[in-house]
Amino acid sequence: MAEGLSLKNITKRFGNFTALNHVSFDIKPGEFVTLLGPSGCGKTTLLRIIAGFLEPDEGEVWFGDQKMNDVPPHKRNTAMCFQSYALFPHKTVYENIRFGLRMRKVPASQHRALVEEAMAMVNLTGLENRKPYELSGGQQQRVALARSVVVRPNILLFDEPLSNLDAKLREKVRVEIRDLQRKLGITAIYVTHDQSEALAISDTIISMNQGAIIQKSDPRTIYDRPVSKFIADFIGTANLVPCTVTRQQGSLFQVQSPYGMLLAEDKDFPHDSGEYYLCIRPEDVRPVLDGEPAGEDNILEGVVKNSIYMGNTLDLFARVQTEPLRASVWKDYHIEEGTRIRFAVPRSKIRILEG
Amino acid sequence: MKTARKKRKFEWGYLLLLPGLGYILFFLAGATGMMIAQSFGLFNYTAESRFSLEYWRGILNETFVDDLLYSLKIAVCASLLCICIAYPLALIIKKLPGERTILSLVKIPMFIPALVASLLILNIIDYHGILNIILVRLQIIEEPLRLRNDSWGVAALLIQAWKNIPFMLIIMYSAVEAVRRDVIDAARNLGAGRLAVFTQIIVPLTLPSALVSVILVFIRVFNDYVISKTAGPLYPNTISNLMHVTAYLYNDWPSAACIGCLMVITAVSFVSAYTYLSKKLMQNL
Ligand SMILES: Nc1ncnc2c1ncn2[C@@H]1O[C@H](COP(=O)(O)OP(=O)(O)OP(=O)(O)O)[C@@H](O)[C@H]1O
Ligand SMILES: [Mg+2]
Repeated sequence: MAEGLSLKNITKRFGNFTALNHVSFDIKPGEFVTLLGPSGCGKTTLLRIIAGFLEPDEGEVWFGDQKMNDVPPHKRNTAMCFQSYALFPHKTVYENIRFGLRMRKVPASQHRALVEEAMAMVNLTGLENRKPYELSGGQQQRVALARSVVVRPNILLFDEPLSNLDAKLREKVRVEIRDLQRKLGITAIYVTHDQSEALAISDTIISMNQGAIIQKSDPRTIYDRPVSKFIADFIGTANLVPCTVTRQQGSLFQVQSPYGMLLAEDKDFPHDSGEYYLCIRPEDVRPVLDGEPAGEDNILEGVVKNSIYMGNTLDLFARVQTEPLRASVWKDYHIEEGTRIRFAVPRSKIRILEG
Repeated sequence: MKTARKKRKFEWGYLLLLPGLGYILFFLAGATGMMIAQSFGLFNYTAESRFSLEYWRGILNETFVDDLLYSLKIAVCASLLCICIAYPLALIIKKLPGERTILSLVKIPMFIPALVASLLILNIIDYHGILNIILVRLQIIEEPLRLRNDSWGVAALLIQAWKNIPFMLIIMYSAVEAVRRDVIDAARNLGAGRLAVFTQIIVPLTLPSALVSVILVFIRVFNDYVISKTAGPLYPNTISNLMHVTAYLYNDWPSAACIGCLMVITAVSFVSAYTYLSKKLMQNL
């Protein structure tokens, strides 16, 4: 059965280095949550605390309405897919995957079917009798993944489970993980470096930096309305420049920036004036051809320095005044390098962020 | 052309082995050859050299059989005693804080020569040794115990264990340490309690080292000369002692060579049988 999860004020120190600093969040039963953050920000440490391998120095771990701090790992009914795989070197692929079923006293008659289903899910069929050292890195990773999902725990913990797979396989397995998790209603916490993966798979994204949570929201919000410069920069690409802000009326701000004087409509920004950063996503920048009306949009005039055809988009690296501006535009535009061009940016697509 | 050159390079590589391996092979082949020849009466230092089967006929006497059985008995008992102590010890030390310090203390017996170790321990368990003095003073026993040169070989066994446990401990400790922390975590995460982690993960992963260390200690004890000479029974004693006595006391080099041959044969067959059985055991795990 799915189980919710709450962390209350978790702090973890290694010596005098604080790996996790008062981390709190709640996860609903059956929710798929992704932890996203740069290397060393404490993602693995957090999963290890949830699984029970590490004791937090402060704070509480709750599964549903039960406090888990003193419950040993083998009684927690979580299953973790390790970043280091942690396969049993002396057991075959089949026995590795079956191990959790044996330990959890699943009737032996069901083992074969369950193991085979898990192996098929990660494209491992045919490798049952290999030992881990006879597998490639990506195959080992898939064994680790199959081993964790096969036991159908209350809470699944994935520590970068797809990092070693090629793009196609990654997409396939990602979809299968999501389907299985939905079908069984398992609560999942998923760690990844890959922001597009995080956006694609999650109900909720928790963005971390240096042992603290920066933002917890659904993928659309975290991408469109990041709360800080750090998140805007980490998730997706963004044009980020310092600016001076003055509130005009309501949610309309006047923004003095290296791009010139702009108008921004930002409902979330709490301050009235000061020095902040403005954020423009490349895909929100649109070229304005001669004679086209720009309406209320901000107009930025610049020179295209590089024009890169990506297949699905055309990426422009322009210079507006002295500042670089990146734009990702419709692929059928033909815009040559060196072209002088006007860009339009809607007011509502300019976001003002704290540093 | 290319493959020919590659092949030649390969052969040159073997030459690099020569200084080390050649040395070993030369003395192995030379010494074994000499020993076999001597056992048939050739290269005799103390009498006329001529081919004869009489030494082989005379060798399988009661003394030899007693000594062989005694050597095997002490070797089997010592290696089992050692593993029974060293294996749990390695597991316990791994869990304790200050494991490095404990480990280097436990290693001390390795650096004490067998003869010194033997005499040191004899001082303790001798008829007039500290142990007996204490036991008598405490009136636990009336007469001092005869532990030294006892007919079963308890003293020799104790000294062998004292000397070989550290050796085994080093092997077993590195085996235990080589079991990765996250593999154990993975097992616990999948529902394995302490006992299951031990039987399913730690034992299978460290068993190969245990099996190897047992046979290494077996050979060390089986071939022992010094400890049994000083602390072992007066009769029987180890095969090494018998060989030494035969060669130097009775000046019977050919018979000593026969004993040497049989010693090697026994050791090799024991090791082979043991290796075969260990392989079977590992496959079944
Ligand atoms: N056992 C430990 N002793 C000391 N420091 C540790 C220990 N484990 C982790 N750390 C430190 O804690 C911080 C967080 O580590 P953690 O493994 O959680 O990072 P992460 O977010 O998973 O990074 P990555 O994305 O690279 O896997 C790191 O700076 C790391 O050096
Ligand atoms: Mg990590």
